[in-house]
Amino acid sequence: MKQSLKIALPMAALLVAAAVAAPAKADTLANMERERALLIETMLDGEITPAERQVRLEGAQRRLLDLERMVLRDDKLVGRNTPQVRRAFANYDLTFLVHASAEKSRAMADTWLAQLGISTQSVMSAKQGRR
Amino acid sequence: MKPSKQALFVGPSLALVLAMFAPNYALAKSAELPSWQPVASEKLIKLPANYLKKSLDHDFAQSALSGAIQEADSEIGLKGQTLEDLRTAIRQADGELKVELRHQFLAQKREFITLMKRKADLRQRHMRTKQRTLERLLKKLGQEKGAMTPARLQLVSQQQQARERFKGSLAKVDLAVLSAPTVPESKYAQEYAANMSAVETLAAAIRAHPMNTKPQLPGQPASKADFIRQMLADTQAGVAILEQEQNIIGYMAKLVALDAMALSETVMDAELGDSELPISAKPASAVKYFVN
Repeated sequence: MKQSLKIALPMAALLVAAAVAAPAKADTLANMERERALLIETMLDGEITPAERQVRLEGAQRRLLDLERMVLRDDKLVGRNTPQVRRAFANYDLTFLVHASAEKSRAMADTWLAQLGISTQSVMSAKQGRR
Repeated sequence: MKPSKQALFVGPSLALVLAMFAPNYALAKSAELPSWQPVASEKLIKLPANYLKKSLDHDFAQSALSGAIQEADSEIGLKGQTLEDLRTAIRQADGELKVELRHQFLAQKREFITLMKRKADLRQRHMRTKQRTLERLLKKLGQEKGAMTPARLQLVSQQQQARERFKGSLAKVDLAVLSAPTVPESKYAQEYAANMSAVETLAAAIRAHPMNTKPQLPGQPASKADFIRQMLADTQAGVAILEQEQNIIGYMAKLVALDAMALSETVMDAELGDSELPISAKPASAVKYFVN
């Protein structure tokens, strides 16, 4: 009995230690930010055709959807008080572009521009000039 | 040397030795005592509260200090048996044998007290070490909680809100994004759904596991800090009781010293009574030699 206890206790301690040890590091937030930057670049790219943009955006949206979910489900980010994480969670609509757009039934470009304070009205009322 | 004469010399010296014991408890020979060195590590803090106590107890049971306490315990048991035997023998003896047995009884009592004192010192070391470890654990736990600055609290709150919003909109997002026939469900989404049911099953088993029950204080479920504070209070109570026990040992030592002095005086009186020393001559008693 004593012998089995001697074995069981360290084993349990090891198991607990293994359970609390951090798994392999995968920076979900950085990956998502990279993918989102590429998606925005595609949205703003004036050198591609609308059809081509549509195809690229659909593929990017799929990838970004998964990456956004990975970030939202990532427990390692909870309470990680870094400027990157703080900025990411300060504005849900801007960070989780795919989810926020689908939730509001809007195009991703509309959501993004609205978050930056650019609307059709503001663009139409803008005056061309020289600084 | 006759036993009674031996007692005459040993009695006062025994009394002196025993009298020295009582005030010197604070001067324990710490260098000679075996030790126990638990570490208030991060791993220990992360353990469930119930397991934390068991882990500390187990660590102590493996230490040299625990072995020394057990050894002292068994020696005290044997010495107690010797004292009981001697007491019975004294009741049945008389004359010089009784004096000799009384002397032996005192010597054994002195050894018994020495053993008790050693055990008390060892137990005190155990209690003090445990107390320091628990204080360190509590401090570390406080530091972890103290790390929740207003900025971090705000971040955690935002993260909770984001998760709730995400869960609330999950079905709608799936419908909007994944309903298109050209967009198949991703590998991540498929495997996440499959793994999720396995995770939920395991999580339910963990919640129901008897070793995962929350630590209980009388009346209400306790947090880990409460549990450690309760352990600390119990340890402090143990230290207080130990100090009281040390007082008892001190009184026992004093009593043995007084017994030794009493035995010494008894033997001395008997020796003087038996001696053939002449009664001191006084002038009046010698008058008869001078009167013809």
